[in-house]
Amino acid sequence: MRFLAWSLAEIDEMELEEMGATASIHLIQGGIQTHAWRIMTGRVREADVFLGRFKDQHRIARSDLKLDPEALRPEGEDEEVVEGESEVKGFMAGPMVRLFVFAKTWHRLMVLGFLLTLASTATSLIAPWLTMALVDNVLIPLQSATEEVHVNQVYKFMAQLAGAGVLTWLLNWARTFVVARLAERVTSRMRRETFEHLQRLSLTYFNRKRTGDLISRIGSDTDHISLFLSVNFIEFVCDVLQCVFLAVILFWINPLLAVAAMGPAPLVGWLVSKVRGHLRGGFAAASRAWSAMNSVLSDTIPGVRVVKAFAQEQREIERFRATDKHIFDTNDRVNRMWSFFTPMIELLTDVGLLVVWAAGAWSVAHHHITVGVLTGFVLYIQKLYGRVESMSKFVAAAQRASASAHRVFEILDVKPDMPVNQGMRKVGRLSGEIDFKGVKFRHGSRQVIKGIDLKIAPGEMIGLVGPSGAGKTTLVNLACRFFDVSEGSIWVDGMDLRELDVEDYRKNLGLVLQEPYLFYGTIAENIAYGKPKATKAEIIAVARAARAHDFIMRTVDGYDSMVGERGQQLSGGERQRISIARALLIDPAILILDEATSSVDTETEREIQAALDYLVKGRTTIAIAHRLGTLRRANRLIVMEDGRIVETGTHDQLLNQSGTYARLHEAMMEVTSQ
Amino acid sequence: MNPAFDLLIDSGGRLVLVDEKGNRHENVRPARMFPLTDPEGWISLQGPSGEEVGFIENSKTLTRVQQAALSDAFAKRDFVPVVRSIDRISRAADGHLWHVTTDRGPTIFRIETDESIQQLGANRLVIVDDHNTRYLIPDIDKLDVESRRRLERYY
Ligand SMILES: Nc1ncnc2c1ncn2[C@@H]1O[C@H](COP(=O)(O)OP(=O)(O)O)[C@@H](O)[C@H]1O
Ligand SMILES: [Mg+2]
Repeated sequence: MRFLAWSLAEIDEMELEEMGATASIHLIQGGIQTHAWRIMTGRVREADVFLGRFKDQHRIARSDLKLDPEALRPEGEDEEVVEGESEVKGFMAGPMVRLFVFAKTWHRLMVLGFLLTLASTATSLIAPWLTMALVDNVLIPLQSATEEVHVNQVYKFMAQLAGAGVLTWLLNWARTFVVARLAERVTSRMRRETFEHLQRLSLTYFNRKRTGDLISRIGSDTDHISLFLSVNFIEFVCDVLQCVFLAVILFWINPLLAVAAMGPAPLVGWLVSKVRGHLRGGFAAASRAWSAMNSVLSDTIPGVRVVKAFAQEQREIERFRATDKHIFDTNDRVNRMWSFFTPMIELLTDVGLLVVWAAGAWSVAHHHITVGVLTGFVLYIQKLYGRVESMSKFVAAAQRASASAHRVFEILDVKPDMPVNQGMRKVGRLSGEIDFKGVKFRHGSRQVIKGIDLKIAPGEMIGLVGPSGAGKTTLVNLACRFFDVSEGSIWVDGMDLRELDVEDYRKNLGLVLQEPYLFYGTIAENIAYGKPKATKAEIIAVARAARAHDFIMRTVDGYDSMVGERGQQLSGGERQRISIARALLIDPAILILDEATSSVDTETEREIQAALDYLVKGRTTIAIAHRLGTLRRANRLIVMEDGRIVETGTHDQLLNQSGTYARLHEAMMEVTSQ
Repeated sequence: MNPAFDLLIDSGGRLVLVDEKGNRHENVRPARMFPLTDPEGWISLQGPSGEEVGFIENSKTLTRVQQAALSDAFAKRDFVPVVRSIDRISRAADGHLWHVTTDRGPTIFRIETDESIQQLGANRLVIVDDHNTRYLIPDIDKLDVESRRRLERYY
């Protein structure tokens, strides 16, 4: 290592420059940088301390005192509100049957799986058969030494037993593989279709649903189904097959013994049917409880800032504890039933076995059957009881899967209330004339829009103002066709909005909302959200126009910086400018700004306003704003109150009318002058 | 490109831009707009206070001397080690310690969550450690088998 030394007088300045992943200290002498040292960001704090000490010394040495102003950094806000819950009751045709309709695409795989199951079940029954012969032809003669037993025969039996074992193993292996493959395909298709279906549903649906509930239906419910298909169901088929085979074999060996052994069977059947209904209810409740917990999580985690700000951690803990307790309780209920049921089945099968031993001993004593036959019989009957027991477990698995399948199909059964294919008229680029004709709209039973007539010329900018709750957002939502009007109609370029292909229409639409949403991904990806094929040049151009380029270049990775959930934190104004760039990139004919600048400070608002001024040029624009100043470029101002248009005109005209607008303006002036 | 345009290094070792109009900007700072997906193209040239004074759409269109000036300026500020192999990943109190060999020699860094490993493109990964230093894995498939296996457990 080399040490360098300067006297303080030789040094003009030393400064720290942060450059993303690294930082460097520059030494400046005689106006130019003579030395630079690079440091890792982890050491910046130490470097800062060092430079602080240096500066103190330097100041003392030069005896001039200066104050550096502290930079203040505004912080971004984000909160997400999750709407209340409600259940949609869909039509239900045996969820289990529908599950298999889903598997139809892979019928070849299904047949293969079935054949393998059949084969592996059959081979697993060879061993007891061989045992029977082994006992009668080898073991008993060996013991009683009445006949000569050739040692080769023992080897032959051993080899056959081993062969049967290996064959069973191979077939089981193939079966498990094929079936798991099938199950994975079915559930993956189910997840995909459910999500695709969700994407087609209207905003109204999402407003009614809890995020956590939807997540748990697509996530954990489909997982239950997968497990059921790949493990439980196939085991059940094996069990049924084995039972049939076994019953045939048993009756064939000895009908009397077989009848004795089957004694407890009706009792088992009755128990199963009894328990089924209870279990199903229990599992459905458990899945619902699980959803409730997911809902709490998807509510609390995104809203964590609010939770902390209001110091409500304890309350959220209580809320979570309550939902968790609910899961716990419902599972407990299921388990209680379960814990009684399984041992009960075991007891019944033990009783059956006892009967077989008794009847068998009697038969052997009276020379009706040989010891070998009895041995084989007991082996078979034990297998049979084993199957019955595992079949009873299937009851629970089937009920759980059925409850889950029902919850998934519930989503699939929701008819898109916004019939996407109703309007099939293809449109290209629109000129952007919008005409509201006697538009009324109700949210549920509540009339929110009470008759709006408004014609907007292509390229015109309309400023929509009015007290909060007047229905402004609802009106633009109608123009976006997120909802359909209840009465009246909306015409775009002389065509009824309902006739148009929704996707085509929305390609003409640019939307900037109060709370911009950034997806997890890079800044470039977020800007190009509406036009994924955009070139880098286009992305940069719109970012510049939206006044976003400079702050993007200040982030560590520029346009490649990760944003959105868990990504780099951007301030509200920065996110808003990215969403403006996003709207700008698709070059929309119709632009809708819903309080685009309401959530930012006036300084940022000025920046955004500049970006917006560029954005509105040559487009039909509907701008909603509370700060009336942001509407200065509007051709017309429309004042809404309680679902109706109450005033129309320019800023000056409206002020002179001394109506609602004048009142809003006055209120605003009061606020700003304070 | 416009004849007036030039990039050079002054006596103090700083980058100087002469823009299309012939204006001279001293001490400019090059910054990549797409440092991870397109490091060669789209380079922003910023003045001392961070304002953009010019940009280069594709550095390959520059003369050899200008390219050298640019890469010299970048070399002074870039620090994204390329991971050659992952030697060990151990659990630490809060996160994991990665022992890696990079193009700048062996090092140990700590990452806190799985989200610190970000995928860019099919086989490209960027690992951000707890000091915000970024480590690049340009192609997972080019790592040796052992490294890939270690990586797989976390990514
Ligand atoms: N999904 C909804 N369900 C029921 N009522 C709603 C819904 N969305 C909005 N509303 C009601 O409609 C009215 C108009 O809301 P909105 O259009 O958002 O007003 P604003 O003019 O503030 O944008 C409000 O009173 C609001 O309570
Ligand atoms: Mg609103």
